[in-house]
Amino acid sequence: MVRRFLFSVVFALSSLMATHAWADITVLVPSGSEGDGLRAAAADYAKLKGTKVEIVQAPYSNVFEQAANAGQTKSGAFDIVLMDDPWIPFFAENGHLEDLTPYFKKAGLEGPDSDFLSKSLAVCRNPYNKGPYVCLPYVGNAQMFFYDAAKFKEAGVEAPKTWDDVLKAAKALSEKGGGRYFGYVFRGGQGNPVVADFMPIFWSYGADMFNADRTKVTIDTPEGAAAMKTFMALRDVSPKGVESYNANEVGQALAAGTAASSINWPNWVATFEDPSQSKMVGKISYSPIPAGTKPGSSEIGHWTMGIMAAAKNKQEAFDFMLWATSPEQMKISAQRGNPPVRKSIFTDPSLTGQEKFRHYPVLMQAIEASTPRPRHPKWPEIENAFGIELSKAVAGTETPEEALKRSQAAVEEITGIK
Amino acid sequence: MTVSIGAKFENSFERWFERHLRVLMLAPAMLVLLALTIFPSIYMIIAAATRISPNPDLPWQFAGADNFLRLLTDEQFHVGLWNTLVFTVFAVGTEFLFGLGLALLLDRYIRRLNFLKTILMLPMMLPPVAVAITWKLIYEPQFGVLNEIMFRLGLPLQAWAGDVRLAMFSVIVADVWQWTPFMFLLMLAGLASLPDEPYEAAAIDGASAWRQFWDLTLPFLKPVIAIALLLRIMDALRLFDLVFILTGGGPADRTKTLSLYIYQVAYRFADPSYAAAISLFVLFTTVAFSTWFIKRMRLAD
Repeated sequence: MVRRFLFSVVFALSSLMATHAWADITVLVPSGSEGDGLRAAAADYAKLKGTKVEIVQAPYSNVFEQAANAGQTKSGAFDIVLMDDPWIPFFAENGHLEDLTPYFKKAGLEGPDSDFLSKSLAVCRNPYNKGPYVCLPYVGNAQMFFYDAAKFKEAGVEAPKTWDDVLKAAKALSEKGGGRYFGYVFRGGQGNPVVADFMPIFWSYGADMFNADRTKVTIDTPEGAAAMKTFMALRDVSPKGVESYNANEVGQALAAGTAASSINWPNWVATFEDPSQSKMVGKISYSPIPAGTKPGSSEIGHWTMGIMAAAKNKQEAFDFMLWATSPEQMKISAQRGNPPVRKSIFTDPSLTGQEKFRHYPVLMQAIEASTPRPRHPKWPEIENAFGIELSKAVAGTETPEEALKRSQAAVEEITGIK
Repeated sequence: MTVSIGAKFENSFERWFERHLRVLMLAPAMLVLLALTIFPSIYMIIAAATRISPNPDLPWQFAGADNFLRLLTDEQFHVGLWNTLVFTVFAVGTEFLFGLGLALLLDRYIRRLNFLKTILMLPMMLPPVAVAITWKLIYEPQFGVLNEIMFRLGLPLQAWAGDVRLAMFSVIVADVWQWTPFMFLLMLAGLASLPDEPYEAAAIDGASAWRQFWDLTLPFLKPVIAIALLLRIMDALRLFDLVFILTGGGPADRTKTLSLYIYQVAYRFADPSYAAAISLFVLFTTVAFSTWFIKRMRLAD
């Protein structure tokens, strides 16, 4: 009887070992094209090297939550996390991420090679562009300005260079649209969405959240007020309901041809150029973010791979990251729909010659002129507070001036910077 | 000799087993309760009284009542509390009135139209996430079916969940759609159990239908109404999934509920101590309200 019981236990355990995750490395990735791309790369890596890479996929905000939880409890559940770049200060400054310097040294390298775009590498160092590398960039996202060139031309604007150009065309198109067609559309949803679409305008008017040495909060300034004025003018020509819009609603409005322009992420190019999902194939033009009183600047939104400090197989994790970000793999990743972070791929004629990669020169330009979201370990809390005030301004429950004043106070309170 | 020792052991074991049978039978349930309820509750009380850093190398610091005192000055908490109360009063109130009204209307016919009962129950069977996604599509200002109907009727288009004036109303409508059947079913069960005699007597005395409803039906239904309200109120106070998907707490914080705020504090801001303090506040308020409500309705009798 006892023998039979023990046999069953051994059998159950061995079948568990054979089927379940005795993975060499476990990677936490977001749902969507970024995570799907890394999943496919992991399968290739397993075939090539015999290393089992387990991919855990979760929705955007859950990736942060799960990684923060694993870091806070030192659980070692994940070896690598594919992070959105504004999360890096939180993970790095709370000791959740491994410093990659010794791993580069061991591999006989000084650091990432010079083929990576400098802005892509800068986000992976903490403090920004100065400290040691805590991750490697994988997906080269930066916002671009999308617009229907024919409609803009109809409204008397050939190629929008400034926010005034955008406003002029958008106003004319919305007025003509009779409540069914709009010149501009943006993400007005409370929190991350509205902040993401406001920041490029904020920067275009010379404003920023902190001064250079992060000793002062600088939201409620004349530059901030000028940016807010443009943002409110854009709201007035946008569809009713933008207060709840996220990237999906904005992308769909452009793909369905119900709005003429927006800021959005480059992965929407694939949707706009897909006849099964878009009425606007070949009709959407791409440009860097328009200028305000200063040159326009995109918000950088790179997906980066970092090794958790409590990871079980750090060396194997590093080897995988180095392999996945190599030029050969990055080209494959680009073909799978994820923008690269290497110059050689952005300028590869075998890619740029294809219609679906025609935005690459603009995207590379946008990344090179991009700005990271304010680098602070409490960024999620700052973004939430700023997002509430911006949402109130967009919804009209408080004046733009009040929104700036209250944002300034809220960020001062959260950061302790007075 | 061996046999007698064996038998003796067996006897004493049996006696011990008999004596502790009750404890043994309860043990698995107690273990589960200990692991899933008692331990987390104690842990939550400890967390609420400390300051836990997101950095695992920093030790927990004793914070006393700091996290609870923060509740007094935290504007976002006040907004969440107010929104939760508004939602609970209007959503549960409407569900109750609709549920009771439908049950009174259909009480006589429902036995013949059993399929109607099944249809009416469908929304309740759907997972709240699916309900939220469906309503998000219905409310979508540009492509949503609701605005399409408004357009065809020549009515002004609305932003629904995206409009500060309509956002809470939109959330309440979705919740009412899903949970009215629950009220309806409970009320229907209550009506089915009413005795006939008092009604016959009232009819002989010439009491009007309204009088019968007010003096007979309502008092008879009181225990059912009380239980239905208690269950729904406790559920409404914890509202999360619907607002998380439909509005994300916006626009302008108009639909941010306490549960949504607790989630943000715990997971987005990585501040489990303060989240534990808010959770304890919600727990004690709910328990205090339920105790008062049960006493007031004399349910314990």
